This record gives sequence, C-alpha cells and structure tokens, in this order.
Amino acid sequence: MEFFIDLMTNGLLVGLMYALVAVGFVLIYKATSIINFAQGDLVMFAGYGAAVMLGLRGLPLWLMVLILCLGMVALGFVLERGILRPMVGQPLVSVIMVTIGLSFVLQGLVAIVWGAGTRKLELPVPLAPYVVGPVFISPINVVAAVIALVFLIAFGLFFTRSRLGVAMRAVADDQQAAMVVGIRVSRVFALSWAIAGLAAAAGGIIWGNMLGASSLLSLVGLKVFPVVILGGLDSIGGAIVGGLILGAVESVAAGYLDPYVGGGTKDFIPYVLMILVLFIRPYGIWGHETIERV
Amino acid sequence: MRLRRWMVGCLVLACVIGVGSMVPAVADEIVMGGQCDRTGPTKPVGIQICPGVLDYVKLVNKQGGVKGHTLRYIEVEHGYKVDRGVEAYERLKRDGAVALLDYGTPIVYALTPRHMEDKLPGLTPGFGRADSTDGERYPYIFPMAASYWSQIGAAMQYLKDKGGAKKGTKIAYLFYDNPAGREPLAIFNRICEMEGYECRDFAVPAPGVEMASQVLDITRRMRADWVVGHLFGNAPSVSIKELKKNGFPLDKVLSLVWGAGEEDMKTAGWDTAQGYLGMQFAGVGRDFPVIQDIIKMYQAENQEVPEHVGWVYYNRGVLIAALMVEGVRLAIEREGLPVTGEKVKKGFESIKDFTLGGFLPPLTVVPEDHEGGGWVRLYQTKGEKIVPFTDWFRGYREIVLEEVKKAAKAEEKK
Amino acid sequence: MINREAGVFQTSYRSDMALYTLPLAKITVWVTLGFLLILPLPLMLGNNQHAMSIVNTIALAAIGAIGLNILNGYTGQISLGQGAFMAVGGYTAAILSSRYGMPFWFGILAGGSMAALVGTLFGIPSLRIKGLYLAIATLAAQLIIEWTINHVSWIGGGAQSSIYVDTPTFLGLAFNNEFRRYYLILTFFLLAYFAAQNLVRSRVGRAFIAVRDRDVAAEIIGVNIFKYKLIAFAVSSFYAGVAGALWTYYLRIANYENFTLGTSIEYLTMIIIGGLGSVLGSVLGAIFIKLLPIALDLSVIRIAKGVFGIPYESVANFLANFQLFIFGALIILFLIAEPEGLARLWENIKRYFRLWPYAY
Repeated sequence: MEFFIDLMTNGLLVGLMYALVAVGFVLIYKATSIINFAQGDLVMFAGYGAAVMLGLRGLPLWLMVLILCLGMVALGFVLERGILRPMVGQPLVSVIMVTIGLSFVLQGLVAIVWGAGTRKLELPVPLAPYVVGPVFISPINVVAAVIALVFLIAFGLFFTRSRLGVAMRAVADDQQAAMVVGIRVSRVFALSWAIAGLAAAAGGIIWGNMLGASSLLSLVGLKVFPVVILGGLDSIGGAIVGGLILGAVESVAAGYLDPYVGGGTKDFIPYVLMILVLFIRPYGIWGHETIERV
Repeated sequence: MRLRRWMVGCLVLACVIGVGSMVPAVADEIVMGGQCDRTGPTKPVGIQICPGVLDYVKLVNKQGGVKGHTLRYIEVEHGYKVDRGVEAYERLKRDGAVALLDYGTPIVYALTPRHMEDKLPGLTPGFGRADSTDGERYPYIFPMAASYWSQIGAAMQYLKDKGGAKKGTKIAYLFYDNPAGREPLAIFNRICEMEGYECRDFAVPAPGVEMASQVLDITRRMRADWVVGHLFGNAPSVSIKELKKNGFPLDKVLSLVWGAGEEDMKTAGWDTAQGYLGMQFAGVGRDFPVIQDIIKMYQAENQEVPEHVGWVYYNRGVLIAALMVEGVRLAIEREGLPVTGEKVKKGFESIKDFTLGGFLPPLTVVPEDHEGGGWVRLYQTKGEKIVPFTDWFRGYREIVLEEVKKAAKAEEKK
Repeated sequence: MINREAGVFQTSYRSDMALYTLPLAKITVWVTLGFLLILPLPLMLGNNQHAMSIVNTIALAAIGAIGLNILNGYTGQISLGQGAFMAVGGYTAAILSSRYGMPFWFGILAGGSMAALVGTLFGIPSLRIKGLYLAIATLAAQLIIEWTINHVSWIGGGAQSSIYVDTPTFLGLAFNNEFRRYYLILTFFLLAYFAAQNLVRSRVGRAFIAVRDRDVAAEIIGVNIFKYKLIAFAVSSFYAGVAGALWTYYLRIANYENFTLGTSIEYLTMIIIGGLGSVLGSVLGAIFIKLLPIALDLSVIRIAKGVFGIPYESVANFLANFQLFIFGALIILFLIAEPEGLARLWENIKRYFRLWPYAY
C-alpha cells in the first residue's frame, strides 16, 4: 500500500510540473490558435540559459531567475514578431510547420552557442528525502510543485482579475469583436508569446534541475500533448487538472503494469487514457466546443 | 518575391557545391571512415568519441603515418538515424574507406549485410551486436572490445566474487528500453537462475529520463541489494540522482560501459555520485603514453588542451582509432599494398597482445573471436575523478560463448 | 501554343477524362518517364552507388509522402502516425519473407494491407475527434505500435527488435546493387504516383476534399463522412505500409528505429513544404527534405575548408549543429515566403509561362 502512496505522490508532484509547461502551450493556443510545437524547445533553451548562468561564478540565484525570466519574455516577443507575424492569415498547418522548424532552429542554436554536453542545474535543495509517515517525498519535487502552483495561481489571477488578462481572453474568444471594442490584437498576440516564454523559463529551471539541461528537455514538450488534449486545448484549469491526472496515471501504471509487460507502459498509457476521454468529450474535459456552421 | 529568389539561389548554390565536392582520394593516402552522432540522442558521448578518433589519427600522421602513408579519416554526421547512416556508409565506400566505425547499434544491424557484401570491415567496440563475436558467422564485423554479453557476464562475476552475492541476493537490472539495453537480459536472467539470485528487470522507456517509478520500485518495494545499470545518453545521470533521492547507496550500483563517463558524474553532481561503480574497456585518465603524446601535440601547436582529453568517452575514441590504425598497419605488413577492405580484415584478425601502453587489456583477435576476450575493468567515482577500482577481468565466459554459438545456430536455421 | 487549352478539342469521353489533356503535358510526362528510366545509366558508368542510394531514398520517401498527403492534404485529417504504419508494413513484410519465405512482391502487398488494417483501426477515433485533437490521437498510434514491436517478440523478432530479410529476387535476378533496386523502387513509385493522381480526381477523391473543406455540408448532401475518413486512413496507411516494406527490402532489415516519431514529423514536413493537397507536391517535398541535409553537409564542410581553411576537427561540433539550425531556418524562411509549398511555386512558374507575355 505504501508503494501505491509513494507512486501517487510522486506522480501528482510531477504532474504539476507537466502542468506548468502545458500552460505555456495553452496560452499561445488560446490567444492565437497556434499549436506551438516548439514549446518544449523553449523550455530547453531556458534550462540551458539557467544552467549556464548558474555556472558563472558569483551569480546569485535570484538574479539568475530575474535575468532568465526577462530574457525569455524578450525571446517570446522576438519570436512572435519575427516569425509568427508574417504568417498571420496563412493556413494553420503551415504555421504549425513553422513552429516545428523553430524547434530545429532552437535545438541547433543551443548546441552551437552552449555546446552539446549536458549541463548541471544546481538548485539549493537537498537530495535526501523527507520521510512523512510511510512515504518518501523528495524535496526537489516539492519545491518544483510549489513553484508550479505559484505560477499557475498567478496566471489564473492574471486572466481573471487584470485588464490585460481579460483583454487576452476576449481576443481568444472572438478576435473581431475584441478589435471592435478597441483591444489591440497584435499586442495581445505578442503578450501571449511573452508569457509562454515566462512559463518556459519556470519550466526550464525546474525540469533542468531534474533532468539536467540537455537537448532532451525538448521532449518534455512532447509529453505535454496528452496533458493539454486531456484538459482541453484552450483551458488553463484543464491544463492543471490534466497534468495532475496524467502524472498520477503514468506513475501508478508504470509501477504496477511494467513488471508484467516488460516495461515502457509510461509511454503510451497517457495516450490511451487520452483517447478514451476524447471519445466521451471530444474537446477535452474543459475544452471549448467549437460550433460549426455550414 | 526577393526572398524567394534568394532562397532558390542559395539552394542551387548549395547543390552545385555539394556535387562539386565529390573529391577522389589522393593516391598514397589511406582512407578510413566513420559515422558520428553529434546532434542526436547519444550526443553527450559522440562529442567526445569523435574528437578522440580524429586526434589520434592526427597524432599518427604527425608521427609519420602508417608505414609512410598518411591517413585520412572521414567523419560523417548521421544524428543516429539509420537512413543517414546508410548514406554515410555509401559515401565513405565511394571515397575509398578501407575500415569503418559504425556508430550505433541499430546502424550496425542495418549495415551488416552491406559490410558482408562489400567486404569492408566495420568496428563496433563496446556496443553493436554481441553475436558478432563469432567471426566466422560475421567475418566483417569486429566488436574488438567487450560486447554487452561479456559486460553483463563480468558484472555478475564481480557481484559474486567481490560483491558478496549469494543465493537470495536481490539484484535489479535497470536498463534503457531499446534493443541495446535488452541485449544482456537473457544472460542476466540465466545467471540469476543458475546462482539462485532474486532478480528483476526494470525498463526505462526512451528517452531515458523518467525512471522515478522504477527507482521507487527498486528501492522501496523490491529493496534490492545491488543495481546493475545499462543506461546511456542522459539516462545515467538521472538514474544517479533518482537513486540518491531514494537513499540507495551508490557503491552498490554497477553500470555497464556507457553509463560511466565524467559527463554523467558532472551532470548528476560529483558529490552526489560518490562511490558509483562503472565498467570500462579502455583506460581512463591522462596517465597513458598515448594520451600524453596527444597532449604534447596540442601544446606543440600552442593550442589549449581540451578538457575532455583523458576522459572516459574520449579515450574510447582514441582506442577505436588505434585499433583501426593497427589493423591497417598489420594489413600492409602482411599483405602489402594497395590496402583493401579484405586485407584490413585479415590485419584485424592478426592483432595479437595489443595494449597500446597499458591503455587496453592485451587484445588478441582471431577469426573465431572478434571480440578479443571481453576484458573489462571497474572504476569508481571518488572526489572529482574516476579512479581504478579493480584490475582487468572478465566473467562467465563459457555462458557468453554458449550464447554466441546459440545465436549463430539460430541464424543458420532461418 | 501547345501549353494553352485554347484550340485543344477532345472528341471522346475517354480522351476528355484522361489525366493529361494538354499536348505539352503529355509530352512532359513521356519525357520525364524516359528520363527516370535512363537516370541510372550515367551513374552506372562511374559505379556511383552513393548517388543512386540518395535517389533511392528520395523515391522511397516520396511514396510515403504521397500517402500522407492523401490523408492530410486531401482529407484534412492531420496524422502523426505515418512512421508507425510504415513500421507495420515493414515488419509484416520481414516476417513473411524471413519466416515463411514469401517472395518480395507478396511481402510488399501484404505489408501494405496489414498497415491499411491497422491504419483503419487507429482512424476510428476520427468519428468523434477532429482537427488537432485527432492529430495527437494519431500520435498514440505511433507510440503504441512502437511499444508493441519492441515488446512482443513474435512481431519484433526478439531482443534486437529487428528482422533480416534476404536480398529480394525476381525471376532469378537478385536486386543486389543500388541500380537494380532503383528499378524496383521506381516501379512502385510510378504505380503509387499515378494511382494517387487518379484517386483524387475520382468520386472518392472529391469526397475526401469535401470532408476537408466543409464536412458538415458534405454530410448534409449525402457524403458518408465516417466511411470516407476511414477509406482515407486505409489508403494512406496502405501507401505507408508499401513504403515501409520497400524500405525493409532495400535495407534488408526491418528495424523500428527507421520508423520513429521523428520519421512521422519528417513526412509531415515533406508534405507541408511540398504542398498539401498535391501529389506532385509530395514528391517535390520529399526531394527537398531528403536532399537538404546531404547538400548542407557537403557544402558547409566544403565552404569551411575551402573558403576559411578551417580543418574539420576544430569545428565539427559547430558544423553538425549548424546544419540542424540551417535546416530549421530554411523551413521557416521557405514557409514565410511560400506558405503553400513547392507545388504552389511550381504552379506559379507554369502560370507565368502560360500567360506570357501578359502578367495576368
């Protein structure tokens, strides 16, 4: 039984980390209807940046975080302006392809600038586990979960309480109506990419610590697809819940099913779950159902 | 529109230059080749092995080449993709290579029929297919260093002799869930059954960075006494951290050859990885004559010696190049010029007691045994270095050879 | 002029329904066919198997790309599982050939059929799921099939998950060098190309396009959407299976690492760059994507050495990653310049000559 609790807690905590990356994804989709295949690569970019900066002697942690966040926000602006702005109005598939191309560019760029080796991302968190009753909890997972939660709550508040956030939701809902009301849509687009960059920064720090800053971080982006589909492509709350569910299911399935089938269930169980849910709710649990007219 | 014209122009230019680059080999030069993965999933390893190979070839050329002939080593990047590996092979063949490094187990599998057809020898030290030990079945594939089967045999032997394993000891096998990772499984299970250990295996799905549940199982549910790891790429460092997170003593963790490099320790953190045991098939460190020569070469050119000189994977690159050069040298000695793939194959098969100044265990290759004995050595992480822990040894050799024979028979039956 | 429709009169239903009606089109097709048939000859003179292998790779990729375009471009169902369906075809052919001794043409057909079956199965979610959600569901196909091959040794061939096949032979002639393999692949490529061209002009093809453009309206006028979606999945997977089986016979080994997610994304790239909804576009896209890394490889290294005099060793890392960077950058630039792909570029060129000397 305690094994199950172990797996469950571990899974939930990792799930929150997934949710953090998923939020960046959902943000861009919500505002611009673009699936950003390069989100994982943005996380990787941020992870490398964080690792390199921490490697510089004498750079305090808070300064690194600040510079990284500002840098990623700037990167988001630049990407939106340089690459996505010319593609406005083009068929959706082309835009998706551009983000795939962007992911190659980021991968090559990271290796050129910072070398291809894996880098360590040291955070001042001890490795030895806390023992809470029968359960071992590792501090880094807790810290990561806390950071993720803080970001998610901050995003939630931003979208419901602040003017800019409400403007973004308006653009996501109906672009033309938003323009009529006087909201600058292009600014909202830029902002959504910038905030996605911010989410990538947080994700990069956390995941970079867990996995080491390497090109494999971009694969976290792949992991995140079932999360957003499960929760609904345009729902932030859905991303959070989806992440939790997926993390838990993955962990428990791997722990209990793997020995019988020789391993590897972690890969496809999330997708099987996702398909089953999609049969019942074709737009994800909290997704916005598109009404089609002839 | 202008952008379009620019792009078409660039493309045409690239194609023209590409076509024009088909350069024939200079006479009197001996060409060798290999693929490299500097951008794909094994790039932490590739970015050290490939410079190792190139540096050694440069060293040999500086020292006068092989019997007066300069060597040319052509490296082709393939990103660990099979179709690019095949294209690389054809390109190297066209450019006149007489020996090839096949980088990556799936590429070795894909290229084996071509090696046989074209009579070009291919080297696969420390990876590749274990059944290519049988040189009579695969005359043109040369592992020349402990295959995965020999590695697991040696690991189990160490556990029995020095690790205190006896009947009932719990051993966990943590491996990367792909064919290379699964190759030792049969022998692992066989030895476990033979010795009465309680064994379980844990697959880590690609890309090998999520193993929290597996490690939880190993440390909390199974409560293993020993962990034998067969991970590579980014997985070893993650495994070190995960095991440490769950309080498992790292000096009871033994990794096969591709999970034991300085990069892995550095990424996990040297202080985290203390006591970790790793298996090597080449010497580690700068304390060898050949590495010292390479360092002198860098200094003679007033260049900074790269950090990775002397590291685990770099040294393996040097080993690969040294083996190729030795094969070519013996080919020229015994068979004479011009050098062809077939002659180099015979050259490889006449390698005897080759140690390169203590860099490797005495390697003797014969047509029946392309592996050269399957010797390995254990090193341990202490401080910020990897230091020798045992001497050269091997284990369960009879079982390994039996499996090789079984595999050969199974192939013939088909 | 021979490239205008004016003055070309068809006098029978048969000639009116032909694939190529313009005299220039007919001439072009015959010339291209002739060129493809004699293409290996100059290479054979120099025994340049390397160049032939590149052409073979492109032709194989084109078959898969055409299949994917039928599903993605004409029917509008984005699929990320192309690699997996190719794997199904490849392994089926390998099992039949190596274990049961079936000849290669049987293996290829069986591989295609098996892949079609599996593809239809994974197309069932398209009943309920649309658009990008469906795309991710097909990703599930990729992962599940990969896992199955890896873990079910009856299918995957044991620990190494790869199965060898012997060199295919036809009437005693073994396809044991690149030139002979070229003709084998060419046969299937031509069949695939013309079959696809005819499919998209037919009733079924029109149904596909209807499903893509306005599926609700199509359903109203009586097009059975679900049936046609499944047919699209089946046909596309058949193409993928044939391509996969041909790969297996070409490499003489079936190995799932040829057919990973990266492969699926590569094919998606090919058809998007080539042009969705165009069979010719798939071929052009395949040429572009397969040739680009090789051209970059050769040219960047040559430029570095020749122009800057830098030896390979010191910049090897940089160059390899630079190629990746340039690859992505070229894709982005190309799509910004021409979002509808190479086929549209070709159309523009043709239109320019049709309207010349007028601008429009």
